[in-house]
Amino acid sequence: MKDVAIIFRREFRAYFYSPIAYVFSIIFIVLNSGLYMFHFFFFGNADMRAFFSQLPLTLGLIFIPAISMRLWSEEHKLGTVELLLTLPMKSEEIVLGKFLASFLFYLVALAGTLAIPIVLLILGKPDFGPIIGGYFGAILLGAFFLAVGIFISGFFSDQIVSLIITSLTCGFLALIGWQYVPMVIDGWFPGLGEFLYQYVGVTRHFNDIERGVIDLKSIIYFVSFTALFLYLNAKSLERRKY
Amino acid sequence: MIELKNVCKNYGVTKALADVSFKIEKGEIVGFVGPNGAGKSTAMKIITTYTAPTSGTAQVAGYDVMENPLDVRRVIGYLPETVPLYADMLVSEYLEFVGEARHLNGKFKTRYDWVVEAAGLQPVLSRKIGVLSKGFKQRTCLAQALIHDPDVLILDEPTSGLDPLQIIGIRKLIKKLAHEKTIILSTHILPEVATVADRILVINEGRIVADGSFDELRKKVTKTSSVYIAVKSAKKDFEAAIKNLEGFQEVEYDENRKRGEIGAHLFFSSKVDSIENLNTLIREQGWQILEFHPEKLSLEDSFIRLTQSTGAKDEITDSTASEKGGAA
Repeated sequence: MKDVAIIFRREFRAYFYSPIAYVFSIIFIVLNSGLYMFHFFFFGNADMRAFFSQLPLTLGLIFIPAISMRLWSEEHKLGTVELLLTLPMKSEEIVLGKFLASFLFYLVALAGTLAIPIVLLILGKPDFGPIIGGYFGAILLGAFFLAVGIFISGFFSDQIVSLIITSLTCGFLALIGWQYVPMVIDGWFPGLGEFLYQYVGVTRHFNDIERGVIDLKSIIYFVSFTALFLYLNAKSLERRKY
Repeated sequence: MIELKNVCKNYGVTKALADVSFKIEKGEIVGFVGPNGAGKSTAMKIITTYTAPTSGTAQVAGYDVMENPLDVRRVIGYLPETVPLYADMLVSEYLEFVGEARHLNGKFKTRYDWVVEAAGLQPVLSRKIGVLSKGFKQRTCLAQALIHDPDVLILDEPTSGLDPLQIIGIRKLIKKLAHEKTIILSTHILPEVATVADRILVINEGRIVADGSFDELRKKVTKTSSVYIAVKSAKKDFEAAIKNLEGFQEVEYDENRKRGEIGAHLFFSSKVDSIENLNTLIREQGWQILEFHPEKLSLEDSFIRLTQSTGAKDEITDSTASEKGGAA
């Protein structure tokens, strides 16, 4: 566990070495709040439904790939992967340290959007159940996407390639839960769309939690897939050896 | 301390190492010599557990690299060829990170001061690694390899990118560490290993082609003598004639000759009097001589030949092996 903390500290600090982290956090907060404000002023409801419904896409397509891309790609490029993997640490510990650093960074950026519920509280009487549920879902969803991103990052030494492939993968996982996307797929391959919607897409699980239906199945879905991808990442780093 | 047994390593279809076995005793300084792509780095990566052998076993300090990689990593300090540094960190931060990761805890301060002094990093401690010169980067990375006072040091081209003065500094440092540590260093600069290493392993195309002390190897490679000859003759006749000479090993044609002339570097075993034999041959053949003189092979040339010619290769490894056996 001590080793996890050592890696975690270095990784988390590394986010603040370059301006990329700040830039992406600001983009994330401005984009999500901005898109939400359109709905907010248009409908004038004191809830965050619009915010959470767009979150899987903005997270999956832009923000998560941007913070996960460097986790391994940068190490490959700098050659520091050779240093890390010859330190007396297990690869699982290194992966977990890296994941937790990116996860904390994500939480900090997500905390930046807490301005919205504060504004809602001032302007009206929002129902806090769905808002708390929404944030809870966003935390689980972010962890899952980050695990996918760090796993993909392990295969490429170019950050941009990691970014694009993670973006496509997470974007696909998010879109497949959009009602009409599986319907279109069903039109081409009957049954496939429904299958993907039920078993692969993340949005359905996210929506359940966001509605305040904190279903154990959905929590297990996120936690187990997060753990699975982290495990696969550790194994893939060891497999490089063969 | 370090033992490789029948280690093979394939990257896809290319064989980086083919059946390599050697044993390095505690306190030895061993130089890996060979051209780029010979397999020096691959052998080091296997010893440091960064890559796994395709087949065969490797042990460091009694631990198997596949079964107990963490124990192996604890005793090794490794300077990879790629110089793995985080460009955005300060030199001091980087060394602190490695010190933490190596679990130095209370010992950190004394070890840190020692490596800073030994690697001459004092002037750059609070600089970003990214802006350092190649020499300081190399030394920062060397400091990283030394910080936990490892029993085994694996240095992949430790002096590349350094100026002559710094090279001498690194050599002194390695000499200072000698006998308390087991050191492997790789290089393609011969004089460099000659001055620090007790033993040299010449690696080429994934095989060990020679193993012995510098002097032993020098004796082996000077077993070949060379003659340059240029005559007017048909290539076919020339080739047929020289092949039958006693002690003939190899011929390298000189491409810069005019038509109808043949220029060639001929290599003979130094046991025979090649000049006299050639003289007789020239008289018999009635060739018109344009140039004819013995050539001195420099040590570098000799090693290049050692890593190129296959005929000489077997002879040298065989005799080295038998000599080793005799000594033991």
